[in-house]
Amino acid sequence: MGEIRFDHVSKEYGGGVLAVRDLSLEVGEGEFMVLVGPSGCGKTTALRMVAGLEEITEGEIRIAGRVVNDLAPRERDIAMVFQSYALYPHKTVFDNIAFGLRMRKVPKAERQRRVEEIAGILGLTDFLHRRPAHLSGGQRQRVAMGRAIVREPKAFLMDEPLSNLDAKLRVQMRAEIARIQKSLKVTTLYVTHDQIEAMTMGDRVAVMRDGVLQQVATPSHLYDTPRNLFVASFVGSPPMNLIEAEVERDNGALVCRLRDSVLELPAARPALEAYVGRRVAVGIRPEHVRDASLVPEGGRLSGRAVLVEELGAELLAHVEVAATPLGRLDLVDAASIAADGLDALTRSATLLGRFPRESGAVADEPIEVTIDTRRLHFFDLETGDAIQAVASPVLARVER
Amino acid sequence: MSRLATEGAPADAAERDLPLLSRRRRRLSRRRVGSALAPYALVAPTAAIIGAVLAYPLYLLVRLSFQKYGLFELVRHQGKSIGLGNYTRIVHDHQFWTVLARTVAFTVVNVVLTIVLGTAIALLLTKLGRAMRLLLTTGLVLVWAMPPVVAVNVWRWMVDYEFGVANWTLTKLHVGNFLHYDWFANPWTGFGVITAVVVWGAIPFVAITVYAGLAQVPQELLEAARIDGARGWNVFREVTLPLLMPIFVILISLSIIWDFQVFIQVWIMLGNRPPSDYFLLSMYSFVESFRISEYGFGAAIAVVMVLVMFGATLVYIRQMVRTGEAT
Amino acid sequence: MSRRKLLARVGWNALGLAVFGVMVFPVYWMVATAFKPGHDILAYTPVWLPTSPTLGNFHDAMSRAYFWTDVKNSLIIVSAVVSLSLVIGFLAALALAKFRFYGRKAFIVLIIGVQMVPLTALIIPLYITLSRAHQVNTLTGVIIMYLTFVLPFTVWTLRGFIMGIPRDLEEAAMVDGATRFGAFARILLPLVGPGLVATSIFAFIQAWNEFIIAYVFLHDSDKQTLTVWLASFTTLRGTDWGPLMAGATLTALPVVTFFVLVQRKIAFGLTAGAVKA
Repeated sequence: MGEIRFDHVSKEYGGGVLAVRDLSLEVGEGEFMVLVGPSGCGKTTALRMVAGLEEITEGEIRIAGRVVNDLAPRERDIAMVFQSYALYPHKTVFDNIAFGLRMRKVPKAERQRRVEEIAGILGLTDFLHRRPAHLSGGQRQRVAMGRAIVREPKAFLMDEPLSNLDAKLRVQMRAEIARIQKSLKVTTLYVTHDQIEAMTMGDRVAVMRDGVLQQVATPSHLYDTPRNLFVASFVGSPPMNLIEAEVERDNGALVCRLRDSVLELPAARPALEAYVGRRVAVGIRPEHVRDASLVPEGGRLSGRAVLVEELGAELLAHVEVAATPLGRLDLVDAASIAADGLDALTRSATLLGRFPRESGAVADEPIEVTIDTRRLHFFDLETGDAIQAVASPVLARVER
Repeated sequence: MSRLATEGAPADAAERDLPLLSRRRRRLSRRRVGSALAPYALVAPTAAIIGAVLAYPLYLLVRLSFQKYGLFELVRHQGKSIGLGNYTRIVHDHQFWTVLARTVAFTVVNVVLTIVLGTAIALLLTKLGRAMRLLLTTGLVLVWAMPPVVAVNVWRWMVDYEFGVANWTLTKLHVGNFLHYDWFANPWTGFGVITAVVVWGAIPFVAITVYAGLAQVPQELLEAARIDGARGWNVFREVTLPLLMPIFVILISLSIIWDFQVFIQVWIMLGNRPPSDYFLLSMYSFVESFRISEYGFGAAIAVVMVLVMFGATLVYIRQMVRTGEAT
Repeated sequence: MSRRKLLARVGWNALGLAVFGVMVFPVYWMVATAFKPGHDILAYTPVWLPTSPTLGNFHDAMSRAYFWTDVKNSLIIVSAVVSLSLVIGFLAALALAKFRFYGRKAFIVLIIGVQMVPLTALIIPLYITLSRAHQVNTLTGVIIMYLTFVLPFTVWTLRGFIMGIPRDLEEAAMVDGATRFGAFARILLPLVGPGLVATSIFAFIQAWNEFIIAYVFLHDSDKQTLTVWLASFTTLRGTDWGPLMAGATLTALPVVTFFVLVQRKIAFGLTAGAVKA
């Protein structure tokens, strides 16, 4: 009974600044929904509106079917884990976790039982009488979680709880949080700027930008079928390669012209018909850019490897090809632009390709790559919207 | 200043600030010796002045308290030792105990009023809009800056027997009939006025200091408490107050120290000639010494004062010294 | 903002205004009385606003015996105390902040303990000591006594400020070629500026407002300070309220002005870092 629902919710700060615009989103009962986006995209504001820490300018938010717009935080029966954990520094771990129960007048014996139970689950039993200052970062994080869990609320709200941890600990805690949430089956709204966290933890992921919801879908759907250039560039690491090309007709079939080379498109793409003779943005993920000497099938491009990064299990090759890099940088996630892809003056694009170790790619040497043309993504250069591979209403409904 | 500051604090900060002294002890060149002496040279003037003006007289005070020192002795610059004579006299002095009780009661009332009202105003400040907050803060600062001598005179004027505006206002508000009322005829009402002056002058410091402290409480802690189910008063009691404890210890201790020593307000209010049922300890000591020329006895009273205050503010002292060490 | 919140905000502001009014009223009353002519002052029904303001009271006050002399004395004392406390206190603060040396703890105890000793208790031995040295009726004696009470606060506050400056800055300067002293002068000193201002204001206020020591130690009317002068307004005949209020206003003026300018820094100096979570 803990669904969270945003109904055309907007948040305006003084001076007409809209932090959240017309957000409509439904988080199902027991679902783990991740709100992700670059800083300033409105995700934290949205979360805080659910918590009651920010006023809602327009629209309605419902928790378990109840409109909560005018309710104080304590009346909403939600629990929150803050980025800085917000542990009461003068209280012991036990008192920190028990605080919410005390405020709700839960009897002492019951409080004791529940706190000890939660402490057991989270491995905090030995620390119950310590103060937060004496705990490590990971332990504090678990205390913050314990405080939220023990109240058995209708929903968990988490505001970037892992960003203060070091990389290794973060990977570990990611799994733990996901595991705990699965076993408790509590509706969770989780905010992060890290798309890897989003993809690994969420049942569904909502991508936001400048206060607007870009797309909400399962991680794999987001990865395979991004709805616009922003989502395409934001999701996936290393980021999707983006270039400009012209759509042409060649003997009745559609092809994609990259300046000197031409890529044949394998299957019919009815939506692309409308773009014949026009320029579009083309995206291809690094794993679909292959070393031609190892995988000869696919659209062939020749170029020069400018940098080859050895990652142990594979190589990341930066290959300069005769193609036009994407000019509309305002449509993508700025952080995902590879530094060398930006050079408009050189008029050549650098593609990232993930090659197996056996590849003989060497820096500063010519190389040929093949593109898996079945995996090309196309985007409108004006709006940034994806040009659907199959224009299917069914697909649209699955997303929601 | 908070205990917490030292507990979880990163070790490296303290480490890095480690004295040039220990690092340089390895080689003993002239430069090294020079810098080893540096702190002492820097500290010397301060220590000298404080030592001369405070430490030595303090020692003298204690010694004096064991002597008989009247006009005769003053002229001869020599006191006559009488052992615990002054102290036994204190114990048997009925007036001393009355004055002590009065001083303690006065201190308690003033400190409580000052802290409670000051904190209330600090909380009020957090709820105000920017313009109003600025106005109130400026008002508080204005009051804070008033010299005690000036403040006392103004209040004396306000409660004047014939023309006091406070008398007129209180009568109009039907609190009672205060026209042609001499507040100082009765020590209870007299001290009421004195308390008003002292508290009035002391509130701004407390209010502004507590407000500055409130501003340092992390917003997220308050939000977490609200989400956890605490409402207004509970949030203050459970989260804010414990965090502000160090500040309160300082303020309470300072208030005790100041209020216990109140002198000017009573002295001037009563025209430099306060009757004995207005005596507070500081005045009792002063009068015994300078009016009656019983310097030894006056000194003994002063020593008792110091001891009482020292005891009352032990917590504060310990905390401050610990802070000074934690660097 | 929702209606409920707007209403609450208005309510708090009204309360704030009321508190302001109550707190500031005595100050207002002092100034108003100072400008009122005699018949408006000695009126059974209070005259709330000085409808016919006059400078008569001020003239009266300022032409009283020794007014200007005492102003001069106060200024001398205050300037000496402020400048000396800054220099001496800063040196000691430097030592406390930067060095660890034997006797450090004792020094700290001295600094803190000193603030606890009652002034009135020390008047007696101080009087006796100074009278032996024939320093009783002098400004110098008073200056030194004031220094004693001002130095602890100065040292402690400046120490806090000095410690707040990251060591990196000095070290960077030294790596860049400055000598130890050069780093100090160029980097440290400017950054401690606010602290110096705050402590000098504190010293100013303490020295200007002080009464007891001045009252006891300065016997000659031409040696006294303004605060003692104000206290002398009360004669056995009764009190001239108009000139008294005018005199009070004049006495309070310098202090209030300076205080209003820098009050924020004082509160900051006392509480910076006090709350750690």
